[in-house]
Amino acid sequence: MTFEQRLAEIRERLNGSSLDCVVAVHDGAHFIEKPDPVKVLTGFKALGPAAAVLDRGGAVSLVVTPRWDAERACETCPGVKVIPANDVVAGLESALGPSAGEIGIAGLAAAPYCIGKRLTELSPRARPADAIVFEPARRKIDTEIADAREATRIAELGFQRLLQLARPGMTEDELAGELRWHSKSLGAEDNFVLLCAGPHNKAVAPSNGRPMQKGDIIVCELTPSYRGQLAQICRTIVLGKAPALLREKYELVVTAMQAGFAAAKPGAVMADVCSAIDAVLEAQGYGEFCHPPHIRRRGHGLGFGSIGPGDVALDNMIVLEPDMLFMIHPNQYLPETGYLLCGEPVAMTAQGAEVLTRQQAALAEIAV
Amino acid sequence: MQTMHPTLLVGPADWNPRRMPREEFDERLAALWRDCPNAAGAVVYGNSSNHAALAYLTNFTPKLEAALALIPRRGEAQLLIGGGVNMVAAAKPLTFVENLAPLRDAAKTAAAWARALPAGDIILIGGDAMPFGMRRAFDQALGTDRNVEAADAALLACMRIKRPRELRALSETCATLDAAVKALRDASRDGKNVTDCILLAEHVALQRGAQDVRSLFSLDGGRTLRPFDLPIARQCNPLQVYLAVRHNGYWVDGFVRVVTTDDALQEKVGGVLDAIVASVTPKLSCRDLARIVDAGRARLRLHPLADDVFGSSIGLSLDEPPMLRRDGDATFALGAVYSLRAGLRDETGAGALSSAIVAVSASGADVLWRDGVRS
Repeated sequence: MTFEQRLAEIRERLNGSSLDCVVAVHDGAHFIEKPDPVKVLTGFKALGPAAAVLDRGGAVSLVVTPRWDAERACETCPGVKVIPANDVVAGLESALGPSAGEIGIAGLAAAPYCIGKRLTELSPRARPADAIVFEPARRKIDTEIADAREATRIAELGFQRLLQLARPGMTEDELAGELRWHSKSLGAEDNFVLLCAGPHNKAVAPSNGRPMQKGDIIVCELTPSYRGQLAQICRTIVLGKAPALLREKYELVVTAMQAGFAAAKPGAVMADVCSAIDAVLEAQGYGEFCHPPHIRRRGHGLGFGSIGPGDVALDNMIVLEPDMLFMIHPNQYLPETGYLLCGEPVAMTAQGAEVLTRQQAALAEIAV
Repeated sequence: MQTMHPTLLVGPADWNPRRMPREEFDERLAALWRDCPNAAGAVVYGNSSNHAALAYLTNFTPKLEAALALIPRRGEAQLLIGGGVNMVAAAKPLTFVENLAPLRDAAKTAAAWARALPAGDIILIGGDAMPFGMRRAFDQALGTDRNVEAADAALLACMRIKRPRELRALSETCATLDAAVKALRDASRDGKNVTDCILLAEHVALQRGAQDVRSLFSLDGGRTLRPFDLPIARQCNPLQVYLAVRHNGYWVDGFVRVVTTDDALQEKVGGVLDAIVASVTPKLSCRDLARIVDAGRARLRLHPLADDVFGSSIGLSLDEPPMLRRDGDATFALGAVYSLRAGLRDETGAGALSSAIVAVSASGADVLWRDGVRS
């Protein structure tokens, strides 16, 4: 699917509704779990708050702040009318004109109050229109999948870098900072490096100033973004020799992940993938650890545009289709070992889940 | 300056009591209570892109998900952090607040907390940055029992005047910016490509312990600036870069231009910046500043990054209010620290930008950083 084909599908949905246009809004604070409808409609990753308007005729306008960033928007989105502004709502008012008709808004719930309040004052009768934008974007377009492959390649190189860098005495923050910087040198414009270490991790959490120690288990999610498309790998590394019990338990988590891959087939629902992973762990007596606070989900979609098809979770009944892109990560807390990270990005094909990594997760050791 | 917001803040943000002892935060909070005499407690929201107020009062930087501080006028604060209960241990080193809990159903939790307070208003800080849905739930939950007053302006007035420890932190951050700029200049003069120059500068800052480094650069002789997207294998002469560095919580930033030949445009921009810096006194207005800039630019056009806004206050936020807008009502304040910028475009469309970080004293501007000149 191309960008134009997906935009046509969004337009079809718009024309099938009673709305005259869809307004997409995003505050420019890019976050792995926050979808960006502006990026879906235009392909543009904004510096500041931005809005896009799609009308029934298929015309797209893009309000860009700060206004000095408008030339970059024009380069990125050649077919789009770019409206430079220093105030996104004022720019949107100009884009909509006096007779915009029935307006639907995508992204309102996540917009900051200072923008959302003014938007609703501008269009008091506007209705939520997230589904119009995000449902067609549950599947990735060709360039997003290609970019996810490159982001995956960068993530794997980042993991190799981690194995070279991590050592006792280095703080988690230092390691995370170096990895983020390294991925930028490989072409990633951003990287969600969630990393922590300890003898018994309760979760994977943002790094802090704790110096790592011999025997620590490092858990990390490396999530580079290439041209605005994220991909992730989840890995576990021991600073020193891994005990036999840890090896054994890690194999269990890898087996659970493989079960998840096998369950991810077109026509299955996402909950099936989660169930398949849970079943492996439950069979070994870890049923009570298959729920919060130990685990919330077994994977997730990958933004920055759409985060569809959503979480790999028991309550996600979305039907899997080719060109969906998401993470499968069992990422399990086990009482004997603590939290273990293990996960790969997959792209759905007609045959099933294609794992995008060249080398899948295996427990790694760093000699110290 | 607006930069590309990263999806996760990964830099060092632990609370360091030697740099910012608990009494520093107590004094900040006491000043807020003095300005809000009817307040029984404060609700302070922060997320990864907007958390200066939260950091000012708790030292906490929400690296991943949003956080909410519930601070009573008397008694200990609570900090509600995003993520589950298993994230609490990792968050503890980032703050002196001892009572940490997961941020679940924030509106209900805050309302229950407020009900237990003695009579008085609840002040809300950071409410405009809350997600729209969350804020509406908040207004509903809190608004019926208590008078809720936005207190962002009151706190910003406190934050604007930098305290001695903050000035020290800003000065240290300037040293890191200076080291990064030197690396950038050296790399450019060594013939490195654009991406390598910027990466080397960023790496120097990171190795000095920077919490965050952000950059913009020009590929068209300073006419436009852009964020990092894909690696650029070519060299640029002139190389116009914007670098922002955060260290120990505090931001500074600077426009840097590296050129290997005579640069008349840069000289003119330097002249405008000199005039701006020389004019700074407490109570100087933005309109006076605009007149100085307009006089200095002569027949050249102002650069789009410096035609309407000439800088802002700076500190725990990169764009700390007030913005120094051409038609704004802000005036320079004694004891505040500003990032000031000047920019011009010549008749060919080429542009140049230069900037300085200054602290305002009774006698004028003390320059904390300027490209090539650091006090």
